[in-house]
Amino acid sequence: MKKRIHWRFTLILLIVGFMISIQYNSIKKPTERDTRDIWAIRQELSAEKQVHSELLSEIRKLDKTIFSYHSLKDENTEEVLSQTVDNLNQQVGLTNVTGPGFVVHVKPAAESIALGNDIAGISPELLTRFVNEINRFKGIVLEIDDKRFTIMSSIRDINGITTVNGFDVSSPPFTIKIISPSIADSEKLYNFLSASSIHDDFYLDDLVLVVDKPENAISIKGYPEKIENRYLKELPKGE
Amino acid sequence: MTMWLPLLGLILGVSLGLLSDIEIPQMYGNYLSIAVLAALDTLFGGIRAHLQQIYDDRVFVSGFFFNIVLAACLAFLGVHLGVDLYLAAVFAFGVRLFQNIAVIRRILLEKWTNRGRVSGEDISE
Repeated sequence: MKKRIHWRFTLILLIVGFMISIQYNSIKKPTERDTRDIWAIRQELSAEKQVHSELLSEIRKLDKTIFSYHSLKDENTEEVLSQTVDNLNQQVGLTNVTGPGFVVHVKPAAESIALGNDIAGISPELLTRFVNEINRFKGIVLEIDDKRFTIMSSIRDINGITTVNGFDVSSPPFTIKIISPSIADSEKLYNFLSASSIHDDFYLDDLVLVVDKPENAISIKGYPEKIENRYLKELPKGE
Repeated sequence: MTMWLPLLGLILGVSLGLLSDIEIPQMYGNYLSIAVLAALDTLFGGIRAHLQQIYDDRVFVSGFFFNIVLAACLAFLGVHLGVDLYLAAVFAFGVRLFQNIAVIRRILLEKWTNRGRVSGEDISE
């Protein structure tokens, strides 16, 4: 009898211990202390809000496309489709673009010319940094030394020479053209670049960045080659 | 030897729970805590009954599960009524827990005094 009682108690205590440890597990959950202050949280919130508004505008755009598909009759579907294709081509960077923007000249620094230093080409790291700096602004179109910079473009060092899309970037001076969605955006980017610390980085490489005032019509050529697509495949017709 | 069996069970249960790393969602935390309280209450009730020689297997085991289920149901009802009914269970179990432990303490104290052959003392409180 006594032994049986002990077994019962053991079993019940096992259950009790199990429950207590699960409760302990659940309560001590926030092991990582949240050390963000109110400012950091606000910043995160504003970043999320920006993402939210971007997503909303994207949804609106897609809704519009769907609406135009619906509203048009069958004979016009082709037109809408070709419009979409044109749109996509423009987004990818296959078309020529003319719009408000400005020209940035990359020149050798006057001091290095006076001292007779060799003028080295721009390094891929510096050029990437520059592209990253201006990519903070949305919807810009970029051309580096007459080479259209698209989403698929790469800046690489090939045999010691900096290349964009596999073509050499000529040694300074050369120009970089930037087109923004509107003249106001262009002004903003111009002000940003004029005050940016990227000038110091260029100066370390004996280069200076001269930013021209924004103009209303800057034209940039499209990406001349076909963009290779390795991930999407065309479905066979009739499926 | 068998004295240590229940303790072994407790240790085994705790380590099992800690090692399995099971977590229950925050919203069910109330239920579990009250279930733990009910289990503890039944446990101490069982110990007390055992010491008072009125222990009954069926009462103990059925009380254990029934109290847990009842407490969880009460908490559930409270959530749906918008009244913190689980506080009633917490109160009831808490009071009983204290009473049971007090009784156990007195019994143990009595046993200890008798064994030490210290007689003639009033141990009532």
